[in-house]
This record gives sequence, structure tokens and C-alpha cells, in this order.
Amino acid sequence: MEKKTLGFIVRSLPYKTEASRLALTHSIASQSVDIYLEDGQTVEPIVCFIGDGVLNCLKNQEAMKHYGDTSIGMHMENALLVDLKVYICKEDVERFGLTEADLIMDAEKLGGDMKAEIVPYASIQKLMNEADHLQFF
Amino acid sequence: MKLGVFFSDFKGGGDVMTRLSADKLGIILVGNGVYHATVKENGKGSPLLEKNAAFYVLTEDLETRGFTVDKVDSRVKAVTYDDIVDLIFNDYEKIIWL
Repeated sequence: MEKKTLGFIVRSLPYKTEASRLALTHSIASQSVDIYLEDGQTVEPIVCFIGDGVLNCLKNQEAMKHYGDTSIGMHMENALLVDLKVYICKEDVERFGLTEADLIMDAEKLGGDMKAEIVPYASIQKLMNEADHLQFF
Repeated sequence: MKLGVFFSDFKGGGDVMTRLSADKLGIILVGNGVYHATVKENGKGSPLLEKNAAFYVLTEDLETRGFTVDKVDSRVKAVTYDDIVDLIFNDYEKIIWL
């Protein structure tokens, strides 16, 4: 079986630009390319938040309440709901004085089982090395 | 002059902001500018808040990004859109956006 890994790397802050939203919607949508693949081929998207991008992962984003817009948090939960692998850079989480309790780590309220992981940057670098394609947002 | 500045960047615009001066300066943190009011990097608050100015942060943009008013630096006053209208009309003669 041939598997292509797509790395979606989010380094941008949320909302001012569409970058991080596009990373999540594209990573979710990338699973649908299966219809264009040959038998035995698969695609595995992974999403990594690094640098200021880790601030996309904060809980309780109220974009819908104030602007009638889907929040980045909602997209992140949808990504986890469809079992995407989501990694958050440990060093950057610590730089901002955040803890796992501050971040969206799962989509349990939607019935999802997948959990995001806080990992050292070296692990994310390894994932980037191993990915077949990378996109930075 | 009495100058109100809307500031919507977290990592940018500081080169202008550092030199900007006014008899009365108000900096209104909106959009990604709200991170100056809430985030501490390596335990340190934003250097922007060292500036001699009155600071305000838009509550709607704070909450959109997952923060609450109780997380705001004590040097910054949380305001709503309605409050900002009052600031524009009552407190500052000129308004710019950085």
C-alpha cells in the first residue's frame, strides 16, 4: 500500500488572516482525495502547530458569539473528530505559559476519540522530515 | 494632539509605535493586537505596554481568541465596541490604524 503523508504546519495567529483556518479545512478535506487515487494508495494528513500558531489551540474561542463565524477551535475539533493527527509544539506552549488545560486536546464533546499531542519541536521536525509534502500556513 | 491608535498586530508595527508620541496617546488593542494585553512570553508581558499611553483592549476580540477579561494585564482596560465609539468621539481628536 502506498501512503503519502501531507504535513500542514500552522505558524500563523488565528483570525486576522485565513491561514490557520485554511490549514485545518484543507487538512480535513485532503482525506477526500481518495476518490482520485488508485487502489492501494492512501493519504495521511497531519497538522502541527508551532511558534505563535499554538495560540490557535486555545479553548473557549467565541468567534461565533461575537462575529457569527466558526472558530478555529471548532475546526480543530472537527479535525480530531475525523481522526487527524494533531501535534502542538511543547516549547512554544511553555513559552506562552500555557498548559494542556488551556488547549483544545480532543473532540470528546463531538464523540471523537482522537487526542492532540503536545510534543517537543524535535518530534515535529522529524514528522516534517518524514512527510512527503509540506504546506506552511 | 490627542491621538487614538488602533493596533491590530502582535508581531509587527512596533517600529512605528515605538516612535509615535502625542500629548495624549491612547492605544486600542484590537484583532491580533489583543495578544499584547494577555500573552506573556517567557513570563514577560509585552514591551508595548511599557509605553506612556492609555491602553484599551476590545473584549469581543479577546473572547474570540479564547481569552477572558480577567486575563488582561492590569495596565489595560477592557472595552466593548460601544465604549470604543465613546473613545473616538469624546477622548481623541485623531484616530489612526496601525
